Amino acid sequence: MTPSASMTSTAGSAAITTPSAAEPAFLERHDLDALIGALQAGDRRVIGPTVRDGAVILDEITTAAELPAGVRETQAPGRYRLEEGRKGRTFDFTVGPMSPKRWTFPARVPIGTARREAAGTTFTAATPDAPPLAFLGVRACELAALDVQDRVLLRGPVADQDYAARRRSAIVVAIECTTAASTCFCASMGTGPEVRDGADLVLTETQAGFVVRVGSDRGTRLLEGLPVRPATEAERDEASVGVAEARSAVRANVGVATTGLPVRLEAALDHSRWAEVAERCLTCGNCTLVCPTCFCTSVEQVSDLDGVESTTQRAWDSCFSAGFAAVAGGTFRSRPQDRYRQWLTHKFSTWVEQFGTFGCVGCGRCVTWCPVGIDVREELAVIAPPPRPSLPILSIPAPVPADGAWLRSARILGSHRETSDTVTLTMAWIDAPHPRPGQFVMVGLPSFPAAPISVSRVHDTSIELTIRAAGPATAALTALPTGSEIGLRGPLGRGWPVDRMYGRDVVIVAGGIGLAPLRPLIDTIVDDRLQFGAVRIFLGARTPRDRLFTSELSAWTEAGLLVDETVDRAGADWLGRVGVVTHLFDHSERIPEGTIAAVCGPERMMEATADVLRSRGLTDDRILITLERHMDCGVGLCGHCQLGRFFVCRDGPVFSLAELGDTFGREGR
Amino acid sequence: MTERRDLAASLATTWFGAELSPHARAAFLDLARVADLPPETEMTREGELTTEFGLVLSGRIALRLVVPGRGRTTILTVEPGDVVGWSAVVQPYRATSTAVTVGAVRALLVEAVALRAALRADDALAASLYPRLLETLARRLQGTRLQLLDLFSGQIEGAW
Repeated sequence: MTPSASMTSTAGSAAITTPSAAEPAFLERHDLDALIGALQAGDRRVIGPTVRDGAVILDEITTAAELPAGVRETQAPGRYRLEEGRKGRTFDFTVGPMSPKRWTFPARVPIGTARREAAGTTFTAATPDAPPLAFLGVRACELAALDVQDRVLLRGPVADQDYAARRRSAIVVAIECTTAASTCFCASMGTGPEVRDGADLVLTETQAGFVVRVGSDRGTRLLEGLPVRPATEAERDEASVGVAEARSAVRANVGVATTGLPVRLEAALDHSRWAEVAERCLTCGNCTLVCPTCFCTSVEQVSDLDGVESTTQRAWDSCFSAGFAAVAGGTFRSRPQDRYRQWLTHKFSTWVEQFGTFGCVGCGRCVTWCPVGIDVREELAVIAPPPRPSLPILSIPAPVPADGAWLRSARILGSHRETSDTVTLTMAWIDAPHPRPGQFVMVGLPSFPAAPISVSRVHDTSIELTIRAAGPATAALTALPTGSEIGLRGPLGRGWPVDRMYGRDVVIVAGGIGLAPLRPLIDTIVDDRLQFGAVRIFLGARTPRDRLFTSELSAWTEAGLLVDETVDRAGADWLGRVGVVTHLFDHSERIPEGTIAAVCGPERMMEATADVLRSRGLTDDRILITLERHMDCGVGLCGHCQLGRFFVCRDGPVFSLAELGDTFGREGR
Repeated sequence: MTERRDLAASLATTWFGAELSPHARAAFLDLARVADLPPETEMTREGELTTEFGLVLSGRIALRLVVPGRGRTTILTVEPGDVVGWSAVVQPYRATSTAVTVGAVRALLVEAVALRAALRADDALAASLYPRLLETLARRLQGTRLQLLDLFSGQIEGAW
């Protein structure tokens, strides 16, 4: 026992010997209220388990009487029932439908406001409204889930400011499990039932009270104010036996064979089981709502009636919802089997490469609260049974550090109509890094969700954005007059790897508005022409009227770039080429070895182009494409743009085909 | 002879002619004539008998369809190395589009009836020429499918 930790006394209690941080203490059951009182210091709200509506839920509690004493539950796929537990026990249940996520990562929070006034439009990031919290009774799997969310929301290139504020303030008092439900599989996910770290205090329940361990300096200070004494050896043994019994029970349950699971799942993307499970799956999203790690969100707009101020909110979304992967003209995951595969492969495969852990902690909530009782353990055992041979794992490229700020106001300096539905806006661009070729910005207008728009040209103090009016937001953007203000965030994403092209021949293939993100690359080549070998540009458009940047083609030719154009259809007055862009290769000369190709257009066009380029000898690592996906945040936090192990906004939008592997062009990914 | 050697060389440099066997190349040239066509020459007319099979050496030919109310629409241009008039060897030997030269065109032309007779009589020619013809049609089919998707009409940067 260290001198500093010994012999303190607490008002309202008998003189008590406080144990050292290294040695477990004991808290009598009737002193739980003292713990709750200590947690409440400084107007801290205490969130703990309580019984409501036939389930153990989490809510604010003020006394120990509100805890679910004498209650336990049976859980099974699609089934949850409370029943009588051991008398006198307070934490005999396991986990209910709620997790701390509801408080650390609320279902809906404001993230910014836009205000439109005569003097201009201002965008203001929201200040997190995060009153201090204390969580009482957090399970080992839930601590692991908090760590998983920390990796996503705190430790990535951009931190979620609201989450950061809530997590920083929260005290965590964990409870080790001494029981297990049939749906628990923490042991196989390596997250429990023992609590290792992540808590300020760790309680283990015995018949008389709680063995208490300290997990942090804050926990040490908290313990100093509690009516505790050193735990006896018998009490420590009783606690250990309780946890060991829980471990045995979890081990007896069906588990998940995690060794090599990410690779096995990636090798099973065409398994027939995806379609079979989709016949049962209602795509209700319950699994994602109860999951303590799911973090995908959408960005919503709430406007006041006069349209002066609109608030942007971050709201929970689910990869099971129909609109989650929607873009105009359809969705990348139209079938339920696509969505189930996305969810399961993210949790157990791609999450590992993205964040270094599984996205599942084995709490079993998704099993219990699935209305049709789909059990991930059963599905994984069928879809990815061990053992299977390994597949090579590609290294994820280092993401470009992204701008963490919210939208900032920028004035439109000029607006130029390119075609009947496409406009190039010149935006003031001051005090921000120059976008590199292929990078994009999030563009926001009051009352509309922010949209990712490729930068189509970079000047010293301005940038150009070429926007096609295809939806309400882009229609509004293209209609704005010079002098208007819009919100910009960026530059974002990983652009074209220009340095890889130095000294090499380059083939650029653009379809439709796909020329916009390629134009800064062409500008770079023109400006620094001697650094590159032969450069050929193949352009495809829908009709002659839909061709972009036509006034610049001659300048590109004069700079020594070979430009070939084709349109999909034309009237008899068009004397140029007609046919899809891949036809241009039929008439081109041989593509020299070592050439790098940069391709942008509709995904199906890029697939056809990739096939032609491969047939001409280009390897996948030299075929670069830029992808379009639904994006709400642009910085890897909302989850919408996930493609396998990548977030397109953060890791892309430019990828080599070698990086994408067979995720490119695969239906439903 | 020099001209014939030049023709053989230029035939061998086209993607259609490159993989013809030497025998097929020679047999094809035996049947072919070089034609220099002025702009706006109609080589085939949609629905009518195709009288000649052609291989473009230089210039551009537009394949057009007439759409009532929309006029003549160009659905493909045929460029050097590619084939025009494939319907000369596929029943019912009627053109599927109207082929019009865009600017001056130089082409190798083979009379349709003579080509069909040669393909019937010369198995080695047929065995070499038909696969190239199939590849031509397969490329056209693939391109037409992509055009049917009208990919650029639905293309935007997100759902906004």
